Amino acid sequence: MKAPVLKVDTLCKSFGGVHAIRDLSFEVREAEILGLIGPNGSGKSTTVNSLAGIFAITSGKITLGDAQIDGLPEYARVAQGLARTFQTASTFSEFTVREQVLLGSNVTRTSHPLSSVFGIGRKADEDAALEERVAHILEITNLKPVEHARVGTISSAQQRFLMIATALASDPKVILLDEPAAGLVSHERKTLSELIKSIRALGVSVLVIEHHMALIMDVSDRIVVLNFGQKIAEGTPEEIRNNPVVIDAYLGEAA
Amino acid sequence: MMTLNRTFIFYAVALVGFILLPQLIAVKYYLHLSVLALIWVIAAQGQNLIQGYTGYVSIVQAGFMGIGAYSTALMGIHSDMPVWLTITLAPFVTAFFALLTGYPSLRVKGHYFAIVTLAFNMVIFIVLMNFHELTQGEAGITGIPKPGAKDGLFNWRDRETYYYFVLIIAVLMTALAALIVRSRIGQTLIAIRQNEDLVGAIGIAAWKYKLFAFVISAMFGGLAGAIYAHYQSFINPEIFGVAQSLDAILAVIIGGSGTIAGPIIGAFFVVFLPEYLRFADSFRLILYGLVLVLATIFMPRGIVGVTTDLMAKWGRGKT
Repeated sequence: MKAPVLKVDTLCKSFGGVHAIRDLSFEVREAEILGLIGPNGSGKSTTVNSLAGIFAITSGKITLGDAQIDGLPEYARVAQGLARTFQTASTFSEFTVREQVLLGSNVTRTSHPLSSVFGIGRKADEDAALEERVAHILEITNLKPVEHARVGTISSAQQRFLMIATALASDPKVILLDEPAAGLVSHERKTLSELIKSIRALGVSVLVIEHHMALIMDVSDRIVVLNFGQKIAEGTPEEIRNNPVVIDAYLGEAA
Repeated sequence: MMTLNRTFIFYAVALVGFILLPQLIAVKYYLHLSVLALIWVIAAQGQNLIQGYTGYVSIVQAGFMGIGAYSTALMGIHSDMPVWLTITLAPFVTAFFALLTGYPSLRVKGHYFAIVTLAFNMVIFIVLMNFHELTQGEAGITGIPKPGAKDGLFNWRDRETYYYFVLIIAVLMTALAALIVRSRIGQTLIAIRQNEDLVGAIGIAAWKYKLFAFVISAMFGGLAGAIYAHYQSFINPEIFGVAQSLDAILAVIIGGSGTIAGPIIGAFFVVFLPEYLRFADSFRLILYGLVLVLATIFMPRGIVGVTTDLMAKWGRGKT
C-alpha cells in the first residue's frame, strides 16, 4: 500500500450547534485519486474548506506529509503543498491565462519579492524553471492555444481548467478539486477525467469532490462517502457501487 | 514592443514639456500652482498604489502628508539636522504611523477599510489641531527653512529652482511606482484588486502585500508633505484634512485609476481646476463638485482610459 500524504484524523467542525462534520477520518495516499461523494449537505464542502484553511476546525488533526497543517492560515497550507480549486470559476479576469498560471507558481519561488522591483538578487534560473513548468502545465490542461488571451474572454470550461492549472503551478503534493465538472458538457468531462489522471501521473495526489457519478467512478482509485457529516463507507469504486448503505443513502437503486 | 515605444515617446515628450514649462509660464502664480501640482503628483502616485492597483480606497493620504510635513518641520526646529535629512526621514516617520494603523485596518475589507482610514485622518487632524505644545495648533508652524545654505549653489527662494527640485523628485517617485507595479509585487497587488480570495488560495499572504502597498503609499504622501512644508515655509492642520484626502482620491480617479500616467494628469487637474473656476466666485465649489461628479460618471476609467480608447479607435480607423 502506498504511503499516506494527507491524513485527516477525527475531524469535527460545528457551526454553532450544527455539527457539519463529525469524527471524520480518511487519508489520501501518494499519487492516488480519492473521490469524496455524498448527498447535498453531507459535509463535502465543509471538509474541503476545513482542509484548505477557510474554516478553523473544531477538533481533530490534519497532517500533510510530516507537517500538521490545521493551525496554518490558508496561504501557508499552499506553500506546504496543498492546492485547491473552487466550485465556481474563480479567476483573475484582467490577466492573461499565462500570467495567472505564472502568478500561481510564485509560491514556489525562493527569491524575495522585492528582488523583482529593482532586479537585484533576481534569480534567472528560477525564472527559467518556472517558465518551463508553466508551459508544461498549459500543455496538459489544453490551455496552450489561449495562453495569451485575457482570462475574462475564455470559455467557462477553459476557466475551470485554468483553475486547475493555477493550482498545479504551486507544485502541490495534494490538489483538492471542488466539483471540477460543474457546468461542463460531456466531451469536456471526458477531457477533465484525462486531466485528473494525468495529474496523478505527475505524482500529485488528488482529492476530488463531485456529483457526477460516471466521472468519479471512472477516475477514482478509492472513494469516501459522507452522509450527515460522517463517513458511511470507503472503498474502491466497485465496492462503493455495490455497498447497500451507500445505495440507500445516496446512489439509489438505478446506480 | 510597439506599445512600449509609444509609451516611451509619451513620457519623453511629457518630460520635455515639464522641463520647458517654467519658461512658457508668464504668470508667476501659475508656476506656484505647478509646483503644488507636482507635489500632488507624488502624493497621488502613492494613493494610486493602494487605491488604483490594490483596489483599497484609503481616505488618509492628506493626513499622511500632514505627518510628513510636521515631522520634517519639527525635526528641523528641535535638532540641527539639515533640511535634506529631515525631508528624507519624514517618509519613514510616516511609514511608522502607516504600519501602526495599516496592520489592524487591513484586516477589514472594502468599505470598512475606507471608513477606518477616514477615521485615522480625522484623528491626525484633531491631534495637529489640539496638541499645541508640539504643533502650535491652528496657528501652525511658520518659518520652515528652505533647503540649501543661504549662499549656496541654488537660490531656493526662487520658485523656478524649487520647481525643478520637485520635478526631479516627482519623476523619481513616478519611476519607483512604475517599477513596483511592473514587479511581482505589483502583479500581486493587481491580483488582490481582481480577486483577493483567489490570491490566498494560490499561497500568497495577501495581507502582507496590502500592508506593503499601504505603507509605501503613505511614504509617498509623507514625502509630498515634507516637500510642501519647505516650499510654503508654513503649515497648519487645515490642508491635511479629509477634504484634501478626497482630492487625492479624485486625482487618481480623474486621471486614470491603476495607470502610471493617471495620477500625473489627475494631480494637475485637482490643483488647477478650482483655480480656473474662480470666475464663478462663490459657486466655484458647486461647479467643481459638478465637474467631478460628471467626470466620474462619464469617464470611470479617467482621462487616461478615455484617451487610450480614442487612440485605439483612431488606430483601427487608419488601418
